[in-house]
Amino acid sequence: MKGQIKNTLKGLMVDFLFWLYLFGCLYYLLHNNWGWTVRNKFILITAMFFTGLFFLIGDSLGRKSFLPTASTNRKWSHSVWGWLLVIVLIVTFLVGWNIVEVNPYKFFTKFRNAGGITSGIFDPSIVGYQLSNQSLEELKLDGVDQEILEKLSGIIGKRYNTRKVCRDDLKRILDEEEFRIYGEILLSKTEKNMTMLNQALTALAETIFLALLATIFAIPFAFILSFFAARNLMPHTFLGNSVYIIIRTIATIFRSIEAIVWAIIFSVWVGIGPFAGMLALMIHSIAALTKLYSEQIENIDHGPVEAIKATGASTIQTWIFAVIPQIISPYLAFTIYRWDINVRMATIVGFVGGGGIGLLLMQQQQLLRWHNVGLIIWLIAAVVWTMDMISAKVRTKLTSM
Amino acid sequence: MSYLLEIRELHKIYEGGTHALKGIDLNVRKGEFLILLGLSGSGKSTLLRCINRLIETSSGEIIFDGKNVLQMKGRNLRYIRRQIGMIFQQFNLIKNLSTLTNVLTGKLGYVNTIHSLGFRRCRSDVAAAEKNLERVGLLEFRMKKTRNLSGGQQQRVAIARALMQNPRLILADEPVASLDPATADSVMRYLGELNKKDNITVVCSLHFLSLARKYGSRVVALKDGEIVFDGLPSEINEQKFKDIYGEEAEEVEIR
Repeated sequence: MKGQIKNTLKGLMVDFLFWLYLFGCLYYLLHNNWGWTVRNKFILITAMFFTGLFFLIGDSLGRKSFLPTASTNRKWSHSVWGWLLVIVLIVTFLVGWNIVEVNPYKFFTKFRNAGGITSGIFDPSIVGYQLSNQSLEELKLDGVDQEILEKLSGIIGKRYNTRKVCRDDLKRILDEEEFRIYGEILLSKTEKNMTMLNQALTALAETIFLALLATIFAIPFAFILSFFAARNLMPHTFLGNSVYIIIRTIATIFRSIEAIVWAIIFSVWVGIGPFAGMLALMIHSIAALTKLYSEQIENIDHGPVEAIKATGASTIQTWIFAVIPQIISPYLAFTIYRWDINVRMATIVGFVGGGGIGLLLMQQQQLLRWHNVGLIIWLIAAVVWTMDMISAKVRTKLTSM
Repeated sequence: MSYLLEIRELHKIYEGGTHALKGIDLNVRKGEFLILLGLSGSGKSTLLRCINRLIETSSGEIIFDGKNVLQMKGRNLRYIRRQIGMIFQQFNLIKNLSTLTNVLTGKLGYVNTIHSLGFRRCRSDVAAAEKNLERVGLLEFRMKKTRNLSGGQQQRVAIARALMQNPRLILADEPVASLDPATADSVMRYLGELNKKDNITVVCSLHFLSLARKYGSRVVALKDGEIVFDGLPSEINEQKFKDIYGEEAEEVEIR
C-alpha cells in the first residue's frame, strides 16, 4: 500500500515535470518567434491541469514509468505516452535549433569570411622575405636621393610573407616614378627571412618541454596516490574506505575541471608564461594519472599478491614485489600517452596564458597574420601526429612486455 | 607424537552468506603428508587459506606450533606466515621477473621492510636461492623471466620459493590441477621428497585419488564444509569415494 502511494507520487511528479517542460518549451518558441507573452502562473496551472487529466485517463509517461496499466503496456505507437514522447522530442529539437541559432544559409554563403585563414593554411609562411641592407647600400653609392633612402630605411628588415606583399608595400611608400626606377632592382635583391619559423619552432619546443615537465612532475604524485585509490589494496575498514573515497573524489573533481581553467588560475598566480601552463597541465595530469594508474592496480592478477603475502612479507613489501612489477609497463604506457595528450592540451592552454605555441598562435591570429597562423597550425599538426605515432608504437611494445 | 597444527571448530562464512566451513576439527602431526580431497567448492581452498590467514576466519581456533594463529597481528603474524610455505594452482609467480628474483621473494618474511626498499640482495640469500633452484632442477633458468617457463617448471619455481622460507609446513592448493599427468607426478614427487628428506609437513589438496594414494600418508575429505572422511589413503574404497564425490561419480584413472 505504501509502495502504491510512493509510486503514485513519483508518477505524478514525472508527469508534472513533463508537462511543465513541454509548455515551457512551447512558450519559449512562441515568445521568441512571435512575441507572445503569458504569465508564468498560467503555464504552471496548465501543466497541473494536464498532469491531472492524463493521469486520470491512465496513460501517461508517469504511469508508464511507475504505475503501469493495461493501456500503457501497449506498443508505443498505439498508446498516448509513446506519442507524448515523440512530441516532446520534436519540441526539444526545435527549441535546441532556436537556442543554438542554427543558420544553414550563413554556413553556405559566408564561406568567404574564412578566406584569410584558409589561404593561410594552404600557403603557410615558412620562409619570409625582406629587403636586403646591401641593396640599400648599393643605391646609396649610386647617389640616390636622400629622401628616397629615408623612405626605404623604414622597411629594411621588415618581414613579408611573399614577394608580392613586399612589392605592394614598396608601391605604397614610393611614388610611381620612383618605383619604376628602383622597385624591380630592390625586389630582385630580397633575402630570406626565417624569423617566424624560428619563433614558431622555439615556441613549439617550449610546448613539448612544458608538457614533458608537467608529466614528469605528475608521475610521483599520481604513483603514490594510485595505491591509495585502488579498491583492492585498501582494506575494507573505515580508514581504508575513507582514504579511498576521499582520494577518488578529489581526483574526479580535479579531473573534471578543465586544464584551461587551471591555466587561467595559474596565469594569474605565477604570471603568463610556460610555467603557468605547466602547473595547469600538472594538476590535471595528476588527477588523470591517479585514476588510470589505480584502475591498472585494480586489474592486476591477485595471485602473486596472495603468494607474496603468504611468505610473511609486510604490506609495503607486498606492494613492491607483487604489485609494482605487474603495473610498471602499463604505467609507462599510460605516462607516455599522457605526455602525448599534454602536448595537445598545451596548445589550448597557451591561449589563456600558458605560454608555448598556443600563445604565439593567439598573437598571430589577433594580428590577422593568417599565413603565420597557417605555419603554426601545420607545425602543431606535425608534432601531434609524430607524438601520436611514437607513443602508439612504444605503448604496444610496453603492453606486450 | 605432538601436533604441528590444530584446528578446532573452524567456521567461515563469506560476506555473501556462503557457509564455506562448518566446524572443522583437524589435527596435523609433524611430518605428515596430508591430502585434502573433495569437490570444487567443498571448502578445501578456504581451509588452506584460513591456516595462514590469507582469509579471515569467522570463528574457531587454529594453533600452529603451540601459538594461536588467529590472535596474531602485524609482526607476529608475519613470523607465523614465514614458517608456512604455500603453493598455488596458478603458481602465482611474478611473471615478468626473473626466476631467481621470484625465488628470492620467498625470503621476504625474514627481511626488514626498509632493507627491501633498496632491492639489495644478501649474498647468502642468493646462494640459498640458487641451491633451492638446483634442487628443483632449474638452476640454468635462473635469469629467465618466469613467463617463459612451462607450467611444470613454474610450479617447481614456486616450490623453490616456498623452500626459501625454511618452512615447517607447506600448504599446497591443488598444485597439479593445471598440469598434465606426467608433469603433475613429477611436481608431486618433489613435494614428497621435501616431506621425507626435510621432514616438512605437507597439507595438499588434490583431485586425483591415484596421486593421493601414491604420496599421501593420510587423507581428509571435505564435503560442503564438513569433514566426511579421515583416514589412510588405502581405506578409500568405492563406497567412501561415492560418499565424498556423490553417487554419480566414477573414479578416473589418470594413467
